[in-house]
Amino acid sequence: MKKEKEILKWLNGELSSKEIEDLKQSEDFETLEKIAHYSAHLATPKVDAQQALAALKNRKLTKKESKVRTLHFRTIFRVAAVITVLLTSAYFLFYNTNQSFQTGIAQTESFQLPDNSEVLLNASSKITFNEKNWDKKRDLTLEGEAYFQVQKGKTFSVKTADGVVKVLGTHFDVKQRNNYYEVSCYEGLVSVTYNANTVKLPPGKTFRVINKQIEKTDDFDAETPSWLQKESSFTRIPLNQVIAELERQYDIKIEAQDVDTSKLFTGSFTHTNQKIALEAITIPLQLSYKIKGKTVIFYKYEGQ
Amino acid sequence: MSKENNNLCEESYFSEFYIKNVQSATNFAYYKSGDSDAALDLVQDAFAKIWENCSQIDFTKVKTYLFTTVNNLFLNTIKHQKVVMDFAKETPYLDRTNQSPEYLLEEEEFKHALQKAIASLSEAQREVFLMNRIDGKKYREIADLLGISQKAVEKRMSGALKILKEQIENI
Repeated sequence: MKKEKEILKWLNGELSSKEIEDLKQSEDFETLEKIAHYSAHLATPKVDAQQALAALKNRKLTKKESKVRTLHFRTIFRVAAVITVLLTSAYFLFYNTNQSFQTGIAQTESFQLPDNSEVLLNASSKITFNEKNWDKKRDLTLEGEAYFQVQKGKTFSVKTADGVVKVLGTHFDVKQRNNYYEVSCYEGLVSVTYNANTVKLPPGKTFRVINKQIEKTDDFDAETPSWLQKESSFTRIPLNQVIAELERQYDIKIEAQDVDTSKLFTGSFTHTNQKIALEAITIPLQLSYKIKGKTVIFYKYEGQ
Repeated sequence: MSKENNNLCEESYFSEFYIKNVQSATNFAYYKSGDSDAALDLVQDAFAKIWENCSQIDFTKVKTYLFTTVNNLFLNTIKHQKVVMDFAKETPYLDRTNQSPEYLLEEEEFKHALQKAIASLSEAQREVFLMNRIDGKKYREIADLLGISQKAVEKRMSGALKILKEQIENI
């Protein structure tokens, strides 16, 4: 097409009348003029704008809310934060009623669980359980040593760092200390789970783990643990465990560097008289001791 | 700008925008589909979308949004078909003073040839050509509405002219 630029300008209404006159002199302008003229008169559907608008409004459209509503969201977050705090604190106040009992050195405590099961807590021990959920789940967590007299009912479990004890209704003692785990059954049947192994204990049997080694134990015929009678009994227990127990029952610190503390001790000591207790341990092992304030030093008898 | 955005969500403002643009948008849809009922339906759907999303549409681009939406809806819903358009009943002849039967016959033949030639244009050429001719839109405006460059509009325009001229002269 000749003069394409001019023609395009002309159709876009950018030419002056003089320029149009010039353009008209070109050879095929007549056809172009006709095209331009008649194409402008092609019919298009006539829209009644008002009526169409009314029809559109009848569609009952809903505006989508803008995504950017910073101010509004902030209030929502504020409300949400307040609600969260309220709910959390309410939960801790009213629902998560974790009860705990704790004893210090030389203390014992006895208390009843919501189902009237009785617990006797030995020195330096702690028990935690959920009071609210007790009817559904008789679960408690123990650090230390306790004697349980469980009422018959649903499974009663005692969780410790070393293992889980499950019973239905019995009397038993659980002792979980450093590198020491012991469960003794006094009545009924107790199931002990340790490292995925489950052992069933009938009355008079003890399950004992020292330094991750399961120990063989003798049967016993006591009806309650000796510590209930203010005495700690040991049957072939390493001296360090005995010393640890002694430190829990008397407010003293024991030093035994010169002594072989892996030596086994069989015997018992009382919780009521420190002198007798110290003698009860040292004499059978041929040891002697010196008291310096709250520190007690064990040493070999012969070495002196 | 946000103030203007809000305006679009105002019913009176939206109505004004609607009344101003519904005809040219419908024409645009008609150039594409050749179906006047479908054309208005498309346009109504497009306006509905604008209303629903009024808060998210940039006010300065709402016209482009309208035409783009019409185009997309058209591509989604309507099968491409040959677009044969009719002339308005009261189309005046180019030379109003010449009433000789030969001239009138000649012009009618020309119109018929033009009608066929426009139907043979590509969709892109036809919409640009007719937006210029029928709606009297400038190239710049067409480019904005279609979201293409003015150069592209001019190219389509001259392509359309070339085809129309060739087809008519061939008869």
